[in-house]
Amino acid sequence: MEQAQSLNVKGIREGLLITTATDGSFDVMREQLQAELGQKGAFFQGSRVALQVGARPLSKAQLLQLQRLFIEHNLELWAILADDAATRIHARELDLAIRLAGSNTDLDGNTLYMEPAPTNGKVAHHNQPPATNHHVLLLKETLRSGRSLSHEGDIVIMGDVNAGAEVIAGGDVLVWGRLRGLVHAGALGDETAVICALDLNPTQLRIANQIAITPHEPGRTPHPEQATIKDGQIIAERWNR
Amino acid sequence: MSGKVITVTSGKGGVGKTTVTANLATALAMRGRKVVTIDADIGLRNLDIVMGLENRIVYDLVDVVEGRCRLRQAMIKDKRHQELYLIPAAQTRDKSAVSPSDMVLVCNELRQEMDYIIIDSPAGIERGFRNAIAASDQILIVTNPEVSAVRDADRIIGLIEAEEKGPGRLIVNRVKPDMVSRGEMLSIEDIIDILAIQLIGVIPEDEHILIGSNQGQPVAMNGTNGASAGQAFRNIAGRLEGEEVPFMDIRAKSSFFSRLSNLFSN
Repeated sequence: MEQAQSLNVKGIREGLLITTATDGSFDVMREQLQAELGQKGAFFQGSRVALQVGARPLSKAQLLQLQRLFIEHNLELWAILADDAATRIHARELDLAIRLAGSNTDLDGNTLYMEPAPTNGKVAHHNQPPATNHHVLLLKETLRSGRSLSHEGDIVIMGDVNAGAEVIAGGDVLVWGRLRGLVHAGALGDETAVICALDLNPTQLRIANQIAITPHEPGRTPHPEQATIKDGQIIAERWNR
Repeated sequence: MSGKVITVTSGKGGVGKTTVTANLATALAMRGRKVVTIDADIGLRNLDIVMGLENRIVYDLVDVVEGRCRLRQAMIKDKRHQELYLIPAAQTRDKSAVSPSDMVLVCNELRQEMDYIIIDSPAGIERGFRNAIAASDQILIVTNPEVSAVRDADRIIGLIEAEEKGPGRLIVNRVKPDMVSRGEMLSIEDIIDILAIQLIGVIPEDEHILIGSNQGQPVAMNGTNGASAGQAFRNIAGRLEGEEVPFMDIRAKSSFFSRLSNLFSN
């Protein structure tokens, strides 16, 4: 029987931590991973990934396959967390880290201590819009060109989002400042997500699967606006209440 | 005595890093400071040409780092100023020939005897840029009044902040006075608005700069014979030394009526 439980993906300080099923064949596990990355590729993009494989023994060739899979999805696999000593040796030979800094796993393995997943404590259900009980990420700085921020819940930024920066949230995005970069709210499919900013002048806005660009308005005066999906397209409305 | 390491960088290529480096170094040397410039653009060296020292190169930065010569041997003395030197880049190697820690070692040695060490950074955000900022005390970001250059400057400022080398100060180069007064060019205010860092200099577009670069004669040496760019560089040198130098008015001389219309359009 090859039906494995689903993957668990969570954001950690170092990027993403993906926990794979320990039962089932390697191919099933790999396909599952591939499907997950294919589905949420845009959300994960550019992240560094630590892969928790548990007791499953993996050969160097299999690790290479996984490494390639991540590269194909524009992700960097940097660590393999394995209970199996041989797997750890293989990972080290591929220049992969085998523990997370600050974790209580020693270099000889033993199970890595895992923080419980945020609030719901269970394996995330990926096909649903994110629950509202995800944490809000508050960032008090300006995101300059080249910065990328992604978070499964809502994001609040006190500062500007400059052109060339991107913010990707599972929930809403609020910018207490000038929004000139790219923002994707409801990136996991939530069409009710909103984007608001004191000055909404982005290169591009995305909510769920909709994409909008800002009309060119020379001589515009900045004013607070909120963007939502209405009748299947993104509409920005002036905030005046 | 400990000299100050200043890195001139931009992200985008062609905005005038090398010109700024050569002229700033010249302006500081004219004030009687001991100055050495380092060309960190290994493989694409230029600073020697702009300073007019190309034909005097014997040893370069990579020779120093790899121990083929003493630091002093790689310091080429300027033709016109007693205490101005250049450490050229190697032309036949690439950025990986030098590491950030090599740069720190070289700069720490130079700090002992020089007042200013000015590093000309290569374009880009990779190894060469990391080398150029490794030892830096102060970073000058050069940009032009165009959207792409400002975008790259923003990226660079972010990287500098991440390395805790910030905040850096801004030089806006190649400002065309007539275009600014017609409102056809990004204004200094627009640029500051986006980048949110302190301005240290505005350099007007000036054909003397190109002529000077080709002849290896930095315009900072030009007298007051109309070379406004030369004055702009001397002003930056003064500001680096902590003087309060007012910014030049870079708008073109305008008629009474166009000034009136500016007044109304604001």
